[in-house]
Amino acid sequence: MRRFKKLEFIAGILLTGTMVLLVMFSGLLFPDGGEAMDLSARLARPGVDWAHILGTDPIGRDVLARVIVGGRISLLVGVFSVTGAMVVGTIMGLVAGYYGKFWDTILMRWADVQLALPFILVAMTFTAILGADLWNLIVFMAISQWVQYARVVRGSVLTLRDREFVQSARSFGVRDWNILLHHLLPNVFGPVLILVTLNVANNILLESSLTFLGLGIDPIIPSWGGMLADGRSYMQTAWWISVFPGLAIMATVLGLNLLGDWLRDFLDPTAKV
Amino acid sequence: MKFRNRLLAACAATAFIWPMAARAAGTLTLAQVQDPASYDPIDTFLLAWGQIGTSIFDGLVQRGADMQLKPALATSWEMLDNNMRIRFKLRDGVTFQNGEKFDADAVKFTFDRLLGPDGAKGPQQSNYTAISAVNVIDPLMVDIVLKRPDPVMLTKLAGYGAVIVPPKYLSRVGHAEFAIHPIGTGSFKVVDYQPKVSITLDAYPAYWGGAPKLDHVIFRFIAEPDTEVAELQAGRIDIAINVPISLTGTIAKDPKLFVASVPGPTVTVLRFNTANGVTKDERVRKAMIMGVDRTAIIKSILQGNGTEVASFQGSLSFGYDPAQKPLPFDPAKARALLKEAGIAAGTPVQIDFRGNDATFREVAQATAGYLSAIGLKAGVKPYEQNLFTNDIIPNGKTAEMFQFGWGGWTFDYDNTAYLMYHSGEHWNPYDKDPALDKMLEDQRSITDRDTREKALQAIAHYVADHTLELPLYNINTIYGVNKRVKNLTPPADNRFLLNDVTVE
Repeated sequence: MRRFKKLEFIAGILLTGTMVLLVMFSGLLFPDGGEAMDLSARLARPGVDWAHILGTDPIGRDVLARVIVGGRISLLVGVFSVTGAMVVGTIMGLVAGYYGKFWDTILMRWADVQLALPFILVAMTFTAILGADLWNLIVFMAISQWVQYARVVRGSVLTLRDREFVQSARSFGVRDWNILLHHLLPNVFGPVLILVTLNVANNILLESSLTFLGLGIDPIIPSWGGMLADGRSYMQTAWWISVFPGLAIMATVLGLNLLGDWLRDFLDPTAKV
Repeated sequence: MKFRNRLLAACAATAFIWPMAARAAGTLTLAQVQDPASYDPIDTFLLAWGQIGTSIFDGLVQRGADMQLKPALATSWEMLDNNMRIRFKLRDGVTFQNGEKFDADAVKFTFDRLLGPDGAKGPQQSNYTAISAVNVIDPLMVDIVLKRPDPVMLTKLAGYGAVIVPPKYLSRVGHAEFAIHPIGTGSFKVVDYQPKVSITLDAYPAYWGGAPKLDHVIFRFIAEPDTEVAELQAGRIDIAINVPISLTGTIAKDPKLFVASVPGPTVTVLRFNTANGVTKDERVRKAMIMGVDRTAIIKSILQGNGTEVASFQGSLSFGYDPAQKPLPFDPAKARALLKEAGIAAGTPVQIDFRGNDATFREVAQATAGYLSAIGLKAGVKPYEQNLFTNDIIPNGKTAEMFQFGWGGWTFDYDNTAYLMYHSGEHWNPYDKDPALDKMLEDQRSITDRDTREKALQAIAHYVADHTLELPLYNINTIYGVNKRVKNLTPPADNRFLLNDVTVE
């Protein structure tokens, strides 16, 4: 069991770390930002030309460069939107679960209202008012997804707040924020981390569907989601356009999932044997 | 009890496989992107209507696959009173698909309805306002009297608003019912219509042009091109209409299928925002045109399925000038022009386009690549289709350039030019040029064919000289067809004539 955990950690670090490093140094590796096109080298097969080792897309842009540079947008959107949603949602859930009554009613009804709104409609309204750009997209995803975290956290806090260790802390006169931070937060973090690792993948794909609807970012700027959309109708004739960004998403998400799993066990106060 | 259950199950299974069985008996299945929703000819200007309506209805004249006019419900016609009156001799013994008799009264009823309050509710009436009255001479002869000469009137009588509708049936069922259960004199009649799913037509054996060879024609509505092509590969449809270029490779490598690419009416241009921003300057617009290698775009992205244009019309269009040449691709000259206009390197420009147009998505990105190469910072922005056509363009909310595709089925440059360039027109949010307005208005009353052609050519030159748009290409209409379909002439104007088509 221990050994498996260790393997999980190593594999997670390797996958995620390689991706993050490649993406961080993509500016040095590909100074053109993956935007240089060459119509005469359109749809080149992978492995034929050393200049385009992973082939080219329908506009003759290098797939390798676009996969690596595209990670910038995808990781940025995935990580920041999820972090935002997690922070907001966890705070809301802690407050609602711990204080109960008034705060619980207000925050959870607000959450209900937000869950009842159709996502795409709100997305269209939001981008129509603020304009479609990367940071608006991230903010929008964060404020539309905090509800999931708030519900999970609130549920756990409801069962935890009457447990002996919380009550004893309270009887010693520990302040509320201290109880929230040191006694409740570590105990609810497991399920939150699982949500986070699942949602990063989800949001990378969500960015692509919003881009596809014209609510996302400029298709010239490479992103994994955008590349999937570009390659969709070439699946049977030029598989490499969509398969490589797909693999990049897979590797990143798998790495994050492994890391998340390991991190949950590492942080779980009851699992330290 | 058990036996009964089994019987029920067997019935259910048969019902399920029925569509496959029906195919064997001479059924042709076509798929198109859009359901026109109303089949009443006065209601629509959609190509999607023309694809289906051509089989249900006939006009007084018909345009063949060769784009030439020929007799249909009228057997002959002559121009009288200095082109102000057209006398039609009608075909005898024609019946509508419900058995109602076709005669001069049906013709009068059709045009009275089109030009009256009913027609005013739809978009077709405006095409026919040159008609002042339809006079019945005898049951097989009518006169169409014009208020002003209209050189394209005969072509316009070959379809859309001018197809003949049955007076008795229509008066009895009313407009709303007619829109979903239309009756015409065409070779196929509607037997089943499921909104947004399919419309099924059966052969009309008493058709005046001879009974059709097919028994059934089914049009299915499939919004997603990838799904459409997957259905074609699976053999569940025989003809996929309007296939994006990116999927032609998939069709071509399937031994059961072939790609039919025919020159079509649709011309695609990038129009400029001539009222605001950097593109207000004619030199900047000229630089942007010269900076984009349109030949390379057609050769690579369109895979040769298109031809370069110098104006907003293809070579089939009346008003096309073969001598007119587009501005050459010359990046050095383009950079010089930008410098002369005082445009700093890295000035942002943006191309707006219809997000669901897979082919143009690539063209837009390639164009932006060329513009970046001459020192602009070009971006592209996809819009949702309805938002783009109902708000962004007509209300003048576009960026520096926006995609515009137009294909007048009449193949007359007037249809495009007037709507695009005349001040105050719905599709013209930016240009206001009294000189151009006058040219556009004047050509409408010229009856002499050659003089009018010169006038239209002059307009095309004027527009090119003032760089109102970046002309891209006249794109072919591309069909994916199953090889079991025989005797099909893929139509340039999207209007399928299915009477002689057979399936194996």
